[in-house]
Amino acid sequence: MASADVEKPFLEYSGPKDGVTYPIQVLYCGECTMPIEYCEYYPNYEKCKEWLERHLPQEFQKLTTGDGDGEKDDADDKKKRQTRGGKGMLKAKKKAEPKGIKMWTQSRGKKKKITTLVGLADYDIDLKVASKFFANKFSCGASANDSGEIVIQGDVKDDLFDILPEKWPQIDEDSINDLGDKK
Amino acid sequence: MFKKFDDKESVTGVNNAKSSVVKGVRNSLLESYPHVATYLDKIIGKKEAIKLVKCHDHIEVIAAQNGDLLFFRHRDGPYCPTLRLLHKYPFILPHMQVDKGAIRFVLSGANIMCPGLTSPGARMTKVDADKVVAIMAEGKEHAVAVGLTKMSTEDILSKNKGIGVDNLHFLNDGLWNMKGVK
Repeated sequence: MASADVEKPFLEYSGPKDGVTYPIQVLYCGECTMPIEYCEYYPNYEKCKEWLERHLPQEFQKLTTGDGDGEKDDADDKKKRQTRGGKGMLKAKKKAEPKGIKMWTQSRGKKKKITTLVGLADYDIDLKVASKFFANKFSCGASANDSGEIVIQGDVKDDLFDILPEKWPQIDEDSINDLGDKK
Repeated sequence: MFKKFDDKESVTGVNNAKSSVVKGVRNSLLESYPHVATYLDKIIGKKEAIKLVKCHDHIEVIAAQNGDLLFFRHRDGPYCPTLRLLHKYPFILPHMQVDKGAIRFVLSGANIMCPGLTSPGARMTKVDADKVVAIMAEGKEHAVAVGLTKMSTEDILSKNKGIGVDNLHFLNDGLWNMKGVK
């Protein structure tokens, strides 16, 4: 193996490089969460490309002009060599698509109501933080439980229609469903 | 190690570390990664408390006060930087570059086999066995995985068979997808 040593010398374990400012900012893909150079190894590469085109058009251009030939090579490779039974491929993660928010009220005793809110977790919202926020906002008790519901004391459905999209812009007002009263 | 890791199920507790523990962590980091010295204060704020995240299977993760995950370790093993930290400060670990064909296997959690480290596209840093290394990839800028060498570089070259580097943490595994702690 002596020849190999000459061909490619060992990498140096040297400290920070001069002229580079740390921390380095790395661009991550919003679809597969990996650095964008690794998107091509993601099973759902097409989705990554879409994301890249939308969010980082400059990088997308580099990608499309840079590896026009590279892609062909890959395709040839795949034809020649039989890929092993999916073993070397990681599965695409299923992302929880937000299914909209549901809320309903239930009565407590004769004249008191509680509002239950389901579906916030799909929007990447921390339920504990959210319940705290509601408690603050409505000056009432609010709690999050393990099954992904937030229970707010009092009937606050009407206020929630305004507050949810305002506090979390990713929520669309149309996706909030009022299921009315539940017994 | 983190292939079947889930941040909702695997985390058992989060608590702020005592200052003596912080000191211990800093010292062991300095000892194992001498190059980190200049930036250690940036990574772990000097006066700032750090968080210890205890997980299943004797895994411990160190997080900054803002919830960013910094280092992890298994039992009393060495502290290993997480990939997100390593991307920011790639000089922390010695680099081992694997060839192109190995990337997709590494990305699904495979250990790094010797041939993947000795082929023309690969390059290595001279290290001993049982050292934490960054797994880089041919033609890529950023690290794909963090590993623990099972053989010294000389052995990898001469034997050229079997597992050369254990894959501890790779892109898109449980730790990578773990959200910051509160």
